[in-house]
Amino acid sequence: MGGIMKKPYRLTKARHAKIAFNHKSFHGFLWILPSLLGVLVFYLLPYADVVRRSFFGAVDNHFTGLDNYRVVLENTAFLLAVKNTLRFTIFCIPALILTALLCAVVLYRSKYGGIIKSAFLMPMALPAVSVALMWRLLFHSQGIVNQWLTHSSVSGTDWMNSENAFWILVGSYLWKNLGYDIVLWMAGLGGISQNIYEAARVDGAGEWQCFWKITLPNLRTSFYTITVLSFLNSFKVFREAYLVAGDYPHESIYMLQHLFNNWFRSFSFDKMAAAAVLESLVLLLLILLFQRTLEHSDN
Amino acid sequence: MNHKTIKRITGILLSVLLVCGTLAGCSGKEQEEISGSANKNTSGTNTKEEAGERAMGRFLEEEMDTGVVFGNIYDMKKLEDGTLRILGADGDNGQKGAWDSKDQGVSWEKAYDFPTELQDSDEGYMEYAALSSDGQAVCAYNQIQKGSGVLSVLYLLDKEGKGSRIDYTFPQSSGESSMAKSFVVSDDDLEGGPSEDTNEADAASEEDTENTGKSVSNLILGIQFLGNDQILAKDMSDTVYQISIADGSLKHTYEFDGSIDTHQVYVSGKKMLVFTSSEVLLYDTETGEQLPAEETLQKGTAESGRFQAMDSINEGESVYGLASGGLYHYKFGGSVMEQLIDGSMTSMGAPSFYPIALTMLDEQNLLVAANDGNSDSPTGIALLKYTYSADTPAKPDKELKVYSLYDNREMRQSISRFQKEHTDIYVNYQAAMSEENAVNVSDALKTLTTEIMAGKGPDLLILDGMPVKTYIEKGILKDVSSLIGKDGDYFEKILKAYQDEQGQICAAPARFMLPIAQAGSAYYTPGQDFDSLTENKGVFAGMEPKPVVEKFWYTCGAAWQKEDGTLDAAKITDFLTKLKNAYGEYENSMDDMDMTVGFTMDGNTEEIGKVSFSYGDFDLAFGRTNINIGLLGKLDYGMMSAVNKKLQDGDYGLMPGQAENVFVPSMIMGISSKSNQTETAEQFLTYLFSQESQKISQSGGLPVEKEAFRSVIDGHQYRDYESLVCVGSSGDNMDEVLDYAMSPTPEEEIKKFTDLAESLTTPALRDDVIKDVVSEQGEKVLKGEISPEEATDAIMQKVNIYLAE
Repeated sequence: MGGIMKKPYRLTKARHAKIAFNHKSFHGFLWILPSLLGVLVFYLLPYADVVRRSFFGAVDNHFTGLDNYRVVLENTAFLLAVKNTLRFTIFCIPALILTALLCAVVLYRSKYGGIIKSAFLMPMALPAVSVALMWRLLFHSQGIVNQWLTHSSVSGTDWMNSENAFWILVGSYLWKNLGYDIVLWMAGLGGISQNIYEAARVDGAGEWQCFWKITLPNLRTSFYTITVLSFLNSFKVFREAYLVAGDYPHESIYMLQHLFNNWFRSFSFDKMAAAAVLESLVLLLLILLFQRTLEHSDN
Repeated sequence: MNHKTIKRITGILLSVLLVCGTLAGCSGKEQEEISGSANKNTSGTNTKEEAGERAMGRFLEEEMDTGVVFGNIYDMKKLEDGTLRILGADGDNGQKGAWDSKDQGVSWEKAYDFPTELQDSDEGYMEYAALSSDGQAVCAYNQIQKGSGVLSVLYLLDKEGKGSRIDYTFPQSSGESSMAKSFVVSDDDLEGGPSEDTNEADAASEEDTENTGKSVSNLILGIQFLGNDQILAKDMSDTVYQISIADGSLKHTYEFDGSIDTHQVYVSGKKMLVFTSSEVLLYDTETGEQLPAEETLQKGTAESGRFQAMDSINEGESVYGLASGGLYHYKFGGSVMEQLIDGSMTSMGAPSFYPIALTMLDEQNLLVAANDGNSDSPTGIALLKYTYSADTPAKPDKELKVYSLYDNREMRQSISRFQKEHTDIYVNYQAAMSEENAVNVSDALKTLTTEIMAGKGPDLLILDGMPVKTYIEKGILKDVSSLIGKDGDYFEKILKAYQDEQGQICAAPARFMLPIAQAGSAYYTPGQDFDSLTENKGVFAGMEPKPVVEKFWYTCGAAWQKEDGTLDAAKITDFLTKLKNAYGEYENSMDDMDMTVGFTMDGNTEEIGKVSFSYGDFDLAFGRTNINIGLLGKLDYGMMSAVNKKLQDGDYGLMPGQAENVFVPSMIMGISSKSNQTETAEQFLTYLFSQESQKISQSGGLPVEKEAFRSVIDGHQYRDYESLVCVGSSGDNMDEVLDYAMSPTPEEEIKKFTDLAESLTTPALRDDVIKDVVSEQGEKVLKGEISPEEATDAIMQKVNIYLAE
């Protein structure tokens, strides 16, 4: 009987817990509803439309199956843009993250770190158009840099119409985003308790060991955020490239955004949609992979 | 209600508000089109209905059949007794006089002829005249002083036409005139001929008649009555003299800062209004002092453009002005300048419309005298009546949107004519790239894409500068093969330049330009090919590098495209190498060259594009260049033959290129497949290819219809006006003057041009992306900055990406 008596008691408890949970989650749902609606209306539904369009013709809307994907994957302009974007990312992200980390560690220990940190943030406050104009002045075939070189008896070059354009773009990206990443790293560094360092030093750990065994592992969460943000910011460098060199820059700085921009102008929505879906899948995959790797290393 | 509940309710309300606000921000409530502003009416007679209902009331235009053919009109005024009076010249015999109308301009009777001493003769000619409200007239007469120049004198005519000279002598002109120094002038005036151009450029032209043995110390360039007893006269140095007509005494002199260019002087009551290029200056004519500026008038004219004709009512308290945007009304001290007529819905918006005089009959009726190429008048001088119709919708029922990247004068002219015949259709023409907006082609095309895909795009497109082939491939354009080529005899190869293999025509050029070359026999012979032309080292010496590349891009670019759509690098290198050889060494001093300014026959200045053929005719004639090449969009045969004569052995023909028989399609028309006004768009497109529209010539291209083509090149307009014409050039070359007889084009030359047009088979590649890359790199080659091979690499690199997209 006792067993019989216990069962209803357990059921009643479970039901209460479930009701309480449903009640709570409903409240929570209500609070996120506005932003969820925003995301749904401005991101998810348009994305769904992009996915739909990737299977249809650009203007006549006839079903094309996977043709758009095939066309995009065979398109040499697309392949060039992907190659350049990847190349840019591969060079820039590690360079930015490591340089920013180095600067952040040095600044964190410095007495004037706060002030210098603000100075590093200045490029972010400059409008892209001003930066682009400055570029033009500096790197035009008859620009300031070439004048300096000529004065130094070195022959100049057409910077923006040669392979140099890529390195100028890399430099610009690093210059503009370094301050932001430094701030993020410094925030991460600030979150590490000094007690750990003190305990380690008592145990005889040196600077390098502290950095390697304490600082780096504790910056793992920041690392994830900084990497993802730097990656996303790397796409914004298109603005400067576009303002300086227009729709068709030197092939070394022809990015995916140039291609999308030009496709839009020529009504190639079909190709745009297919390429956008491919790009978003690759991005999602990369981010998930990165997250997974971090989680795995945590475990 | 406890605190928690209040917080919840507030939270929910804020959330709802946020969502509603977001969604409201996305609503498609667009701002009203400004084109409908013509329904505003100061008189309050307009029946603009309650919100949601249709606005009614519009001024309707009617060209008056007066029974008199005016050769010119100097002034028109409503007199105190209600009579309308015109001072003008008879189109049939050139006799100058006054005409009266007692029935609001319907019929006109000669009031009197001007005295013999004011008629054009070897002694002099009359240029300006003005009427007072009591019927007096004042005339500015240019007396030719044998051997000593031209002297401007003032004559006063009473109401019956009896003349007497006003005893006032204008001082010698000092300082620079605001007018252009180049000119077109007809010496007919000196010989009693019928040429009656009233514009300032003609008068100013006399300034530079040294070659005919005359000189000018000062001239009157504008005249107005101030009340019934004084006049305001503007001279060459833009000084305005206020003179009493009774004794010729000078009341006031208004001098302007050298930096101010005066354009028009008007009188409103006791006020003088001076419209400069940037502002409206007001003066009290009793004291001669400047009055404070009227902010609203300044702003209004800045938006509408300066007034080209003006009338005032209520003793000068209100003014009505004609500007390029239409008719405007302003009450002094008011806070708004109202647009009463939208110029784009009447003849006022046409490029060939030049108002001469405006007379308000009352608040709902007005008369406009204009030089209007659109008019039915054989002389182009038209009298147009505008009557307010309260029953007519403020805006026509149907709106047709026409879009182009660059402003197209032929289109504006055609719209004006089309709307005259179709009052139920409003053609809303938008040129994306103008001086006001700093939009580049790429941005303009992106905006166009957005509008088309949102279903708010244009119905009809002028595809010049747009990727025509891409648009056809993407299905943006409708097949129009059933609409064009039916109502006349067309140059088939040109008309069907964009016909596909299935016979569909989704884009068709309504006009075309001829790539023409002209030079002495040492440098060019008609029919010569590109190779032999460019073998001659230095044949292009003295020319600006970029336009040279651009001009030859048209005749060569068509040969570069391979079957797979890519460009042939070898041909590009060959092109640049030969061009460099023919160009020779670049001289840096050419960077400072002034741009030649051309003047059309009606004195209207326009900047001629550097690829235009007419851009280089003076340089060729006076030996600064060896050859003139360029695109011919309007034939000025007189000038071409004058250059040939100057060269002694000059000749012209098709411009050589790597491709043969190339023409440049222009005013390429297409109907948007997303248009929701397809029927109206088709109707208008058909009109654009009709003979009537094709005969419009504004230098934007030659007609594709053969009869119209003949009509625009045969010079028929000069048939009865053969006279000597002098044409000066601008900049530092004022002493260079070419004169030639303005006469119809000889029959053999018409045949030569027609044969040239018939021989054209290959449309030039009209792709601005490739053209820009080629001309940018080509310029560097001609300047010797890079080698042809390096330039080809740069071109191929950029163009290949573009083509691969």
